[in-house]
Formats: sequence, structure tokens, C-alpha cells
Amino acid sequence: MSASSRRAHSWWQQLRAVMLKEAKQVVRDPSSWIIAVVLPLTFLFLFGYGISLDTTVVRIAVVREDASRDAADFAAALTHSRWFLVVPAADRRAGERLLQDQSVKAVVIIPAQFAPFLHAQGTTAQVQVLVDGAEPNTANFVHGYISAIWSDFFAARARQQGSRAGPQVDVAVRYWYNANAESRWFLIPGSMTVIMTLLGTLLTSLVIAREWERGTLEALYATPLTRGQILIGKTLPYFLLAMVSMLVCVITALLLFQLPLRGSLFALGLVSAVFLVPALGQGLLISVTMRSQMAAAQLGLMTGFMPAMMLSGFLFDIHSMPAWLRLLTFAIPARYMNISLQTVFLAGDLWAVLVPNMLFMLAVGAVFFGLSWWRLHKRLD
Amino acid sequence: MRTLQRLLAIIRKELITMLRDPRARFTLIVPPLMQLFIFSFAATMEVKNIDLGIVDLDRGPYAADIAQRLRGSPSFTALPHYASVAAARGDFERERLIGVLVMQSGLSADLTAGRPATVQLLLDGRRSNAAQITAQYVTLIVSAAGAEQRSAAPNAELVISNWFNPNLDYRWYMMPNLVGMLSLGVALMITALSVARERELGTFDQTLVSPATPVEIALGKLLPPLIVAVVQATLYLLIVTLLYQVPFRGNLLVFYAAVLAFAAACAGVGLCVSSLVHTQQQAFLGAFALLLPFSLLSGFATPVENMPWWLQFITAANPLAHMLRLMQGLFLKDASLASMTRELAQLLEIALCTTVAAVLLFSRRAP
Repeated sequence: MSASSRRAHSWWQQLRAVMLKEAKQVVRDPSSWIIAVVLPLTFLFLFGYGISLDTTVVRIAVVREDASRDAADFAAALTHSRWFLVVPAADRRAGERLLQDQSVKAVVIIPAQFAPFLHAQGTTAQVQVLVDGAEPNTANFVHGYISAIWSDFFAARARQQGSRAGPQVDVAVRYWYNANAESRWFLIPGSMTVIMTLLGTLLTSLVIAREWERGTLEALYATPLTRGQILIGKTLPYFLLAMVSMLVCVITALLLFQLPLRGSLFALGLVSAVFLVPALGQGLLISVTMRSQMAAAQLGLMTGFMPAMMLSGFLFDIHSMPAWLRLLTFAIPARYMNISLQTVFLAGDLWAVLVPNMLFMLAVGAVFFGLSWWRLHKRLD
Repeated sequence: MRTLQRLLAIIRKELITMLRDPRARFTLIVPPLMQLFIFSFAATMEVKNIDLGIVDLDRGPYAADIAQRLRGSPSFTALPHYASVAAARGDFERERLIGVLVMQSGLSADLTAGRPATVQLLLDGRRSNAAQITAQYVTLIVSAAGAEQRSAAPNAELVISNWFNPNLDYRWYMMPNLVGMLSLGVALMITALSVARERELGTFDQTLVSPATPVEIALGKLLPPLIVAVVQATLYLLIVTLLYQVPFRGNLLVFYAAVLAFAAACAGVGLCVSSLVHTQQQAFLGAFALLLPFSLLSGFATPVENMPWWLQFITAANPLAHMLRLMQGLFLKDASLASMTRELAQLLEIALCTTVAAVLLFSRRAP
């Protein structure tokens, strides 16, 4: 055996030893199994059943100060609409109170003069709507729905009186890749991104910090291991753990939530493996920077998990963010993973989308690993 | 008296461990503030900067009118024209466009003749939420294009006014929620990890054999996170009201009562977690396994009303759900004291139950 190949052989042996030690630590700790299997499943269930961005039924209060037929008809139109759950309110004060105490999202007030004004010439009958504007989207939904009921109500009256309504433009909406526009279909790939970030970044962020805290890093430094071996040996077991849990997630998503997989399993596996490079790299970088597990955990939560939730396009659309923030999202690995997973699951193997995203992930990962390698001096200052 | 002395000693010791390390001090203050700032821009369900492709096969006045109206809306940034849907496909796949609006030939002719007409809107279902909101915007704008010719109700009008947030500024809604959301993680994590850390280092047994009773130990672990939470909440309050100009219409005393009750509930949960685990890593994961459901099922990103009934029932045990209602009530709505007291009482119940459970678990381990 030549000298160089013997060196290579012992390099591998050393690497294997670190990996084995780390892997044993992972396998022996019951909490790692909780992380790899229980946690991902819990998240998927939460996202699959608990979270829906599709607005369903909104509670509103109706105050009827006018006892006329017309007022009753309009109130009935609101009650019969499938968008609203109508709560009666005795008077204006009671309605406003309900709005203020967050029991209803809007109060519709039909004033006493509604019918007389409607039938008289030269007067305008008004209906007042007080909307809880605190959450603007719900407020806009409520605006839209009440306006639609209002114009339908008068269009129906006009038809009864024999007059013809003007021409109308309809918008026929079709969703590609997700025909029923089910938010679950885009939330589940997104939640897989969050789970993978959790496994990749948060778990590894504790790895070296733990050795610092327990003082075992000195022992590790005293070994002939190189920095590269320490970094690779400590991350590879987590890589495998994350891949196993990804598999669990995929199986659950396909079987239980009936998510379509329009791309190939190969593309899915490749994207996941590539994503773990920056995710693990980020965890390592945190780990070599922070000296206590508590600080590392906090930093991992704030720079890994929170951005994966908020800035990856998972819950909030990236395109709607201001330009400087969109620029910042390029440094967040979860961003590339999110679109890649959504594409593989819902659209198919669009390599034109996947390849650039994977290249970006690898580039971000190279930066993280490079920085950790540079920060991990083999000395105890 | 003795109890108070011992309690103060434990609190002092906890604060020293927490604040001794400059990096730990840094993580308590700087990242939360950065998050508040960044998320105030990110966390919006408003859809802005929309890029929508247009395929105009009609080339008539109505199609031009619709395109003009879309261009006039502040939500749309670019409206590139394509010869056909196939031509737009590539940009669509790469998420450069959220959708394509197709106006068939004959649209203007139909509308001029008084016949109803349809335009087609193809949207990217991968981003179904943004796509659905875009569909609403487009529908509103397109239906306005035909509206001049028809007036349904000649002498009736609908007067809509927005309460609490007259300009429908999304940030006014998000900032109070972020105050609750960001406090959640800190209070829960600090307590969960502080006990686990002692377990791991072996100093917890020393604390247990000290003259301090389990109740004193639990309280000593609970109070420091409360102090941190109050300091952080004060910072958030100043930033949110002074910098972001979000109104604070409620009572300042109720605000601090809410922060304390919420932090106590979170710390109680953290204490429960820490009494069940042995290492910091386990504590961290246990805390995290709760953190995520708490934040997802709180109404932070999606309304609680959209959840199935059994999940709505579970949210009663979620401290963040109560905290968010309190924050909304305090900042924007000036909700009645009665409705606030109900939420406060529920937070205190959670705090009490979890702390008692944790104390029982601790004393079971103590000799």
C-alpha cells in the first residue's frame, strides 16, 4: 500500500470514528427519535388539519332598526349567504360592543328610514356596515361579500320589476397545478421545508456548543482529527436522520393527505439532500460561534426556524415583500427549498426551476461550511 | 421572611447565569428586535408587486380598458403582454408571473351588444394563497370595467366604514401580534433550558438538597423570565407605538398584567417540560415541539375560526391565543375590561396548572 493511499485510508477511519460516536449519541438519545418521527408527523397533522388560509364563515351582527319588509328581505339575504353566520343584535350599541369585544367581524345596521327612503323619490336609503378593520384581509373579504349580496339583492329586485341589468364581465378563474386552490397543497410542502430546517439547523447548532459546554471539545482537539473531519463527521449522522424523517413526511403526505407527487422521487430526494448542505452548514456555523447550548438554541431558532417560517414564501408571499427584504431572502436556504418542493409535488420535474435553486442552495451551503471551517480553530482561547 | 430571602437568592443566581455571558445578553435583546423589524415587513397577507401576464386576443376597447385599470392599481407592478398562453408558460413556471389574464376575441363586441362576457384568469396554484388574493383583486377591477353601464340600485347605497384600522394597514394588525409571538419563545425557552442545564451539569441535585423547598425553587425559576419578558415587552411597546405609529388605545396596566400573565403561563409550560427531561437538547426539543403548535394554532397567521371545532377547543389551552386577543384588544380595539379579564384569568389558570404540575414532578424527584 502506498503512503498516500494509507493516509487516505486512515483519514477515512478517523472520519468513521467521529461519525460513529456522533451517530451513537443520536441513536441512544430517545429524543432524537421523537425529532425524526414524532415531531414531523405532528407538524404535518397540524398543517394538514389545523391550518387553512381559505376563509370560511365569518360571524357578523345585524341590527335591524327598520321593521319593514325590505329590511327583513335584506337581512334574510345576509342570513342565507354561505359566507356569514349572522348574530342578531338588539341595537346599535350592542352591535358595536360585539365588534369591540372581538365576537363579530362586522355589524350591518339597517336604519329606521331604510324602506321609506327607498320608496320615496329624491332620497337615498343607506345601510351602514361597520367592519373590524384590524385584520385587513378579513375586512376585505367582508367588504367584497357584503357588496356582492347588496348588488345581487337590488339586481333581483330590478328583475322583478322588469328592468334589464347592464352587461357584466365575469372572471373565470383557473388554478394551474392546484385546481381547487387548496391551501393544504401548498402548506404541506412548505411545512416539510420547516421540518427539514428544524432537523438540519437546530439539531446541529447544539452539536459543538455541547462539547464546549461539557469541556469535551478539549478531548476532541487532542485527537489527530482535522477540522474537516470534525465538521463532516458531526454533520453526516444528522444528514441521515433528516433524510429518514423526510421519507416519513413524504409517505404521510402522499397517503394521508393525498398530495399529488407530479415529479419523480429521484428529484425529490435530490432536492432534499441538496437542501441539507446549507441547512447543516448554518447549524454548524451557529454551533462553532456560540459557546453555550442555550445561546446556540436561541440563535438557531431566530436565524434558522423563524426565517424558514416567515421569509421562505411558506406563509407569506415573497413577491409581496419590499425589495430589500426580497434580497435578504436569497441568503435563506429554506426559500429555495420551498419553491423546489412545491414544484416537485405540484408541477413536476421542471429542471429549469430546480437546477438554479439547487445551485443557489449549494452556494449558500459552501459559504456556511467555509465560515465554520474558518471559525473552528483548533485551539482553546 | 426566610422564604423571601431564599427566593431572592435563587432569582439572583438565575439572573447572573442568564446575563453573565455577553453573547447570551446579546441574544436576549438584539435578535428579537431585529425580528420585530424584519417581520413587520414580511408578515403580510396583502399581495403586492404582482406580476400578471396579459394575453389580449380581443384587441378591442374593453380589453384595453381592463389592462389600463390593472395598470392603475397599486398592487400590480408589471403587466407584460404575451401572444398566447403557451408563450407565457416559461415565465409562469419559474414563478416570474403569478398568473395570466386571457381576454378572448369578441369580448368587446359582446359587451357593446349588451351580452355578458367572460375573461379567463389562470393562476399559479403552487402559491395558492397569493393566487386567491390576486383573483379577488382582478375580479374587483374587471367587474368595475363593466359597471358604469349598469346601476343596480338607483337610490340606495352601502356605507362601509372600517373600525380600529381605518386605512386597513396590515402592519397595525401584525405588530401587536408580533409582540405576543416574540415573547412566547423567549419565556418558554429560558425556563425550559435553565432547569435542564442544571440537570445536565449536575447542579440541580445540589439545589434540591439545599434548604429551598420545591415551591421556592419553581418560583425562583419562574420569576427571572418574567423580568426578561417585561423588559422586552416595554421595548416592543415603545417601538411599535413610536416608530410604527400603531395606536395603543387600551390601558397600560392591563398591558403589563397581560405580559406578566402570559410570561407566567409560558414559563409554567417551560417548567413542566424541564421537569420531564434530562438534557438541554431534550428540553430544547420539547419546548420547540410545543412552540410550533402554540404559534400555529393561535390565530397569528390564520384565523382561529377557520380551524375545525376540536382544534378550536384545544386553543383554549394555548397561552398565545389568549395573548393575541389581549394584544389586539389593547392596541387597536380598546376592548371592554370584562372581555380582557376573561382572557387574563385563562392565562393565569394555565400558569397555575402548569406550575403545580411542575412542582409535583420536582418534588417526586426530591427526597
